[in-house]
Amino acid sequence: MKVLVTGATGFLGRAVVRALAERGHEVVAMARPAASLPQPVSPNVNYIRGDLRQGGEWCKAVRGVDAVVHAAASTGGGFPDQFAGTVVATENLLNCIDWESLQRFVLISSFSVYDYAGGGRAIDEKHPLEPDPSRRDAYTWTKMLQEDLAASTCAEHGVSFASIRPGAIYGPGKDWDSGAAMKTGKFELVFSPLAKLRLTHVDNCAEAIAAAVEKVGVDGVFNIVDDEVPTHAGYHRACRAAGSDARRALYVPWWFVASMGLGVRLVNRLFFGGKARLPEILDYPRQKARWRPFNYSNAKAKAELGWEPRVRVAEATRLMFGKR
Amino acid sequence: MNSGQPLKCAVIGCGTIAYEHLPYLSESPLVELVAVCDRSNAAATFVQKRFHAAKAYTDHAAMLADAKPDVVHILTPPHTHVAIARDCLDAGANVICEKPMAGTANETADLLDYAAERDRLLVESRNYLFNDQVIDIRRIIDGGELGEIREIDLILSLDFLGGPFGDLNLAGPGVDLPAGAVHDFLPHLAYLFLVFAGHSGDVDDVQGRLANLSGNSRAGFDHLDALVVAGNVRGRLRITSDVGPDSFRVYARGTDASLESDLFNPFLRIDGPPNIGKRSFIGQIRNGFSLVRAGTRNLRNKVMQHGTYHGMPRMLDAIYRSLATSGEPPFTPAQMIDTARLVDRLVALKIAR
Repeated sequence: MKVLVTGATGFLGRAVVRALAERGHEVVAMARPAASLPQPVSPNVNYIRGDLRQGGEWCKAVRGVDAVVHAAASTGGGFPDQFAGTVVATENLLNCIDWESLQRFVLISSFSVYDYAGGGRAIDEKHPLEPDPSRRDAYTWTKMLQEDLAASTCAEHGVSFASIRPGAIYGPGKDWDSGAAMKTGKFELVFSPLAKLRLTHVDNCAEAIAAAVEKVGVDGVFNIVDDEVPTHAGYHRACRAAGSDARRALYVPWWFVASMGLGVRLVNRLFFGGKARLPEILDYPRQKARWRPFNYSNAKAKAELGWEPRVRVAEATRLMFGKR
Repeated sequence: MNSGQPLKCAVIGCGTIAYEHLPYLSESPLVELVAVCDRSNAAATFVQKRFHAAKAYTDHAAMLADAKPDVVHILTPPHTHVAIARDCLDAGANVICEKPMAGTANETADLLDYAAERDRLLVESRNYLFNDQVIDIRRIIDGGELGEIREIDLILSLDFLGGPFGDLNLAGPGVDLPAGAVHDFLPHLAYLFLVFAGHSGDVDDVQGRLANLSGNSRAGFDHLDALVVAGNVRGRLRITSDVGPDSFRVYARGTDASLESDLFNPFLRIDGPPNIGKRSFIGQIRNGFSLVRAGTRNLRNKVMQHGTYHGMPRMLDAIYRSLATSGEPPFTPAQMIDTARLVDRLVALKIAR
């Protein structure tokens, strides 16, 4: 298949380009004009330049592809910036697509779209979505809007659509601070040490996405977390054992984190009318999204996409931090 | 225009600055938000739902013909303002335009004449005039506490190249006006200088330079350093993107006393009688306590998101009240032309990129 990959020079995008090329697909890899391009991984990969926030020559170059993996999104800045970089960018891409030739659209969404306040402690694809994303953060809100826009437009054109919702993608260059919430002196605070960290290795996630591209007609949402999901404490230990510069851990149990969040929420409601904007470590809705204990299922992705995560935490952390 | 009915208002441009205008427009009893418009249908429809506008459009001409607003907010990139403002005035709407309203003083004057010929209000946003700290500074200056004003320095340090103005992934200039990225901030410095200096009409002298220090091709110009003389008042106007942290310092010095403030992290320090000479330590202690109070207030402001745009709803309310009562607008065409003329003088300082 001829596959367009947006966000092709990002952390996940590079791995997706590699995975698709290894499977023999012709890849049109879209990179931002100022991004540095990686070494060519295959003659099947052709890089084009463009920024989805603006029209340009890229719009012609993306026509005629069989499939799209849309991994480009904005992760920084205020809400209007993230709206432009995620939602308007997706709208521009959808406006440039040649729907006659397109067979499959794979959107890279996020686990952040789920409701972490209700719906039970097991998160699968049927788990309810965040009912009020404005109380969470701009990233969650814009990813939900992006998913709605892409899904409805593909439905309108009768094109097969899959939304991939990866957990925390990790790998060389992205270690999620070894699972720590913050550094303090000689120690690192590891919140909710017994809660599972919904990790997926970047190569595992890329293989799931490549599998999703090929499964035309297998539509819907797919959660991507690895089989082996460590706890926050277990991942921190694994990173230290593998040679990361993580400091010794001070464990802060979930009940204490939540009590802190609830206490601050009470103060906020009593004295600030609930209007205060708080940092993540003190903001109860965001605390729950990151540290509340949940179980995660990847059964649907394994059954319907035929995906099997290969890379395990011990091997991944060795490769990330260099101890062999 | 005092029918007692809310004024029908529309917004053209649903980007970052729209999120500073729209909360007021969706809540004020003086206003009925009848339309929002953006080239992006996703942006227009999102804003429509979020701020309870009646309809969303992607073409401003269609919106003007269909929604027939009494007032239009033009919140699009600056180089598009003049053409859109003329369309709005032709459609019989009053116009509130983000700064800079036009690229030059002549264009500003022409546009104001165009509005006057059609008996419509046209105002350029000057939201900083309605911020707490600026109101306090004006009260102190106007009350004579500093004596006669001799010096006004306005020093803006802001990493504006880190945003879209300097984003090399995007094609074209960050701000498509003669002074590039710096041009977007010039009206703020110009109107604040003229208001603090109490000056109207042309300034007497402007020297300095407008330059591109970063080499960022999208920025055009990213640095201004100007010395301005207006009657008995002289001042320094500086915009820079390469020093931290972000701040917007105001220094006002008079024949009796001096004042220092920061519009981003507000504090107020006053040095003057009676705490001078042997009593200067009392002034320093008082300023110390004042700084502690400002720190507490700023923490509260950060938590409560009482940011640098907190003057915007006050400004809009003043404009809408003047429209509703057919009263005087909060700033006059002459003041807007004076500001644009000072901006022209600052732009003329540019050196080859």
